[in-house]
Amino acid sequence: MSRLIAYRLALALPQLAAVSLVVFLLTYLIPGSPAAAILGERADPESIARLEAQLGLDRNPLVRLGEWFSGAAAGDLGTSISSALPVTDLLLTRLPATLSLAFGGMVVATAAGIGLGVLAGVRPGGPRDRIITAGTSVGLSVPEFWFGLILTLLFAVELRWVPVVGYVPLTTDPAAWARGLILPSIALGIGAAALIARQTRGAMAEALTSRYVDTLTAAGVPRRKIIGYAFKNAMVPVLATMGITFRILFATSLVVEVVFAFPGVGNLLLTSVIGKDFPVVQGGVLIVAALVIAVNLLIDVGYGLLNPRVRPQ
Amino acid sequence: MTTSRRLLSRLRGQPVTLAALAFLALLAVVAVAAPLLAPYEQDRTDFDALLQGPSGEHWLGTDDLGRDTFSRILHGARVALLVAVGSVTVSMLIGVPLGLLLGYRGGWSDRIGSRFLDIADALPGMLLGFAVIAILGRGLGNLMLAIGLIFCGSFARMTRAVTLAEREKLYVDAARVGGLRTSAILFRQVLPNLAGPLAVQAAIFLGSAIMVESALSFLGLGLDTSQASWGGMLGAASEDQATQPFLPFPPGVAIVLTVLAFNLVGDGISAAFAGGAVRPARGRARRRRTRPAVAPLTTAPPTTAPQAAAFPAGPPPPAPPAAAFPAASLPAAIPSPAIPSPAIPSPAILEPGGVLELRDVTVALDSGVPLVRDVSISLRRGEVLGLLGESGSGKSMTARAALGLLPPGISLAAGSIRFEGRELAGLSEKELRGIRGNGIAVVFQDPLAALSPVHTVGKQMCDVIRTHFRVSAAQARTKAASLLERVGVEDPERRLGDHPHQFSGGMAQRVAIAMALATEPRVLIADEATSALDVTTQSQVLDLLLDLRDSLDMTILIITHDLGVVAESCDRVVVMYAGEVVEVAGTSVLFDRPRHPYTAALLAANPSADGKADRLPTIPGRVPPAGEWPSGCHFANRCSFAVPQCSTGAVPLDEDVRCVRATELVLGR
Repeated sequence: MSRLIAYRLALALPQLAAVSLVVFLLTYLIPGSPAAAILGERADPESIARLEAQLGLDRNPLVRLGEWFSGAAAGDLGTSISSALPVTDLLLTRLPATLSLAFGGMVVATAAGIGLGVLAGVRPGGPRDRIITAGTSVGLSVPEFWFGLILTLLFAVELRWVPVVGYVPLTTDPAAWARGLILPSIALGIGAAALIARQTRGAMAEALTSRYVDTLTAAGVPRRKIIGYAFKNAMVPVLATMGITFRILFATSLVVEVVFAFPGVGNLLLTSVIGKDFPVVQGGVLIVAALVIAVNLLIDVGYGLLNPRVRPQ
Repeated sequence: MTTSRRLLSRLRGQPVTLAALAFLALLAVVAVAAPLLAPYEQDRTDFDALLQGPSGEHWLGTDDLGRDTFSRILHGARVALLVAVGSVTVSMLIGVPLGLLLGYRGGWSDRIGSRFLDIADALPGMLLGFAVIAILGRGLGNLMLAIGLIFCGSFARMTRAVTLAEREKLYVDAARVGGLRTSAILFRQVLPNLAGPLAVQAAIFLGSAIMVESALSFLGLGLDTSQASWGGMLGAASEDQATQPFLPFPPGVAIVLTVLAFNLVGDGISAAFAGGAVRPARGRARRRRTRPAVAPLTTAPPTTAPQAAAFPAGPPPPAPPAAAFPAASLPAAIPSPAIPSPAIPSPAILEPGGVLELRDVTVALDSGVPLVRDVSISLRRGEVLGLLGESGSGKSMTARAALGLLPPGISLAAGSIRFEGRELAGLSEKELRGIRGNGIAVVFQDPLAALSPVHTVGKQMCDVIRTHFRVSAAQARTKAASLLERVGVEDPERRLGDHPHQFSGGMAQRVAIAMALATEPRVLIADEATSALDVTTQSQVLDLLLDLRDSLDMTILIITHDLGVVAESCDRVVVMYAGEVVEVAGTSVLFDRPRHPYTAALLAANPSADGKADRLPTIPGRVPPAGEWPSGCHFANRCSFAVPQCSTGAVPLDEDVRCVRATELVLGR
């Protein structure tokens, strides 16, 4: 098992390095001078020159690349232009909210997706399957942020079952943390749940037509146990595509954060994009990419645990 | 083009897809004609009518500036469709050529390019959108670019995969030899094959693009707010929804319906390319039934690869016909019957005291087409009975009927199946469970498919054991290990922890047999159990079965298309052809003096030990598929002894042979 993890890590690290290279190059893609873009058209040349020096744009790009990598490796992602705070500190204060939301969304997506997918796939073509399949089509078409608005309207404003604005740090009050996560997690999870449900349904229906199901049936094994066998087999292709599903979920979480006023990386990125605070945008992109890579790593390891055929021998 | 016409007719059969297409067409009209259709100008403010609900004047109410929501929804359709079409075009313009290049070039450029796509995978789409807009600023073109970049990786990946597959195909090589330039090959011959997957992906990404566009507009990163967009309307609504809760509904519903329509169209095109509307059980059964029709009964050596010769230049070639089983595929020569059993008289398949008795069994599709007709087989205690026939003869369906394991859409239409005197036909699933495994066990053809790949062998065996015996987990494991040892698996304790893929084919079949034995069955059905194995392993597994028969007092039904297997192991043989039993005889009798012309033809088509013939004989013609059986003798049109009388009416099974000329013909080798 440790070999599998080491193998996946060896794949993930170059990916992270390449992403940070792309992120570094972002500033060079800005048409004209980034400093002028930040300060606006009417800024005086002196302050533009000062900002360029602060951003390091006056120095050799290769030297800066070296600095960027050594800085990033040591946890230094530069300084925010608008707040003059270290980008790493800014991101670290925002990370818990982002992680909480992504975690909640993944839990909802996995539980609802796999549950509904199994219910539908056990009897393909049946009434339950048709209802769930139609539901997943709609679920795939609902923008998560809009669903968040509607959920807030219904459960927080009208019914008052949950607080309207909800993020409470886990360390402050775990119960309030969980309560505040309910609606955002459901809103965030709906699309991914529909995706996972579709894949699970297909994989389950397929698994139940396998020869080994015939073997077990012929051996008199009860149906419920056979469904268990089919389920574990069905999880192999489902887990294989879950990395992509969660990548989409991460992207969506940035928008859902805004709807529920979560003090997370998404909200920080939004204000930084609008305020052209490039170091923060760079740091934010890098940290979200790192999270995506980390989750994919975990999924790959889980895939290896589930599917004995991909374990390195 | 016939292909596109076929697709269109398939699409016409999908009402949901048609409705979605109609909706999108309507939306396009609305988008173009929005200024004419909208009752108000999109930015006309009315400060006397702020945040109103739906009314006769404002059908969908007004926003915080008193602007008419309905008019803004119509105008929003313009932005939605424009940005969606524009960004998907951008991503196709980048992704498709890139994928073509990578897929066609292969080698290093492909490896580097694919790595790059993997790296892009770590950047979630929305993040990319943020970055592009942060760098380039807002605006229509930048918005399209930002969204387009999100999807171009997927287009590139898919194009690369299809190109890679097409590249290997014969006709591209042929075109290259013919002197066409590389680019010409790519565009003329690979692109048509890409059309289907591209159309599906484009439809789905059009929907996704609308989702991303509305999210970006919602965040204020989309177009200028003076231009009405659904996402922008939602952004405004989120601020005032406490005052006017209706506000978020119209734009949200517009987005959901539009995205849903694009997704449904994508699904519809995908289904049309995959072969029309999904007909679950019925369709599968039909395919299974017609497949044997293309399997020629021949032992002709495969000198020419059939597909290569008749390769069409345009559409992808049809799936190759299912493996055509020659009448006798495995051994080069038939050994003389290993276990001649002259003691057992051959006739009379029906006699009291059989362990498993099938009487007049008819298996049919739900549509009424019979797959197996009036089959009667009696298995005597302790014997090894061969059920011989080509694919399509109905032998496997007969066995599945005996097990109550018929696929969906196929059922036992008539007849009785008695196991140790107890009628099985009509038993519930639960009642059958007590007999399955316990009384009758089965071993299937491909042992690796017959075992769950993600469970250990021990887990599967123990589950079967504990289904039938009240034993502890440890006891079940001990029993499993002793069973593995019994079938000749070395180091059984350790191998219980292995997964099926860690066994060789022959060993895996031994494991499958051990699993079948786990419940101490009285009857073992071996459904082509040795067909996937090489000749040596096949003999070993057959020897094992015979050994088990002797030591465990089991009765064995061997289903096979292979005369060699019959000769090596069976006491008696039931020959089936096109759903009917045509002859029943003791093995040595059958081989020496076949009485049915079909049996004789099978034997003649089998390369004999003499090896005199320099051309392999074949039976001309093919097995008629179910539903196309002649009214008279099923074999008549291929039979060299046929007389007009053969086709006049159904031929009964008389004295264990179904032939009107049985008494007069002298067949044999």
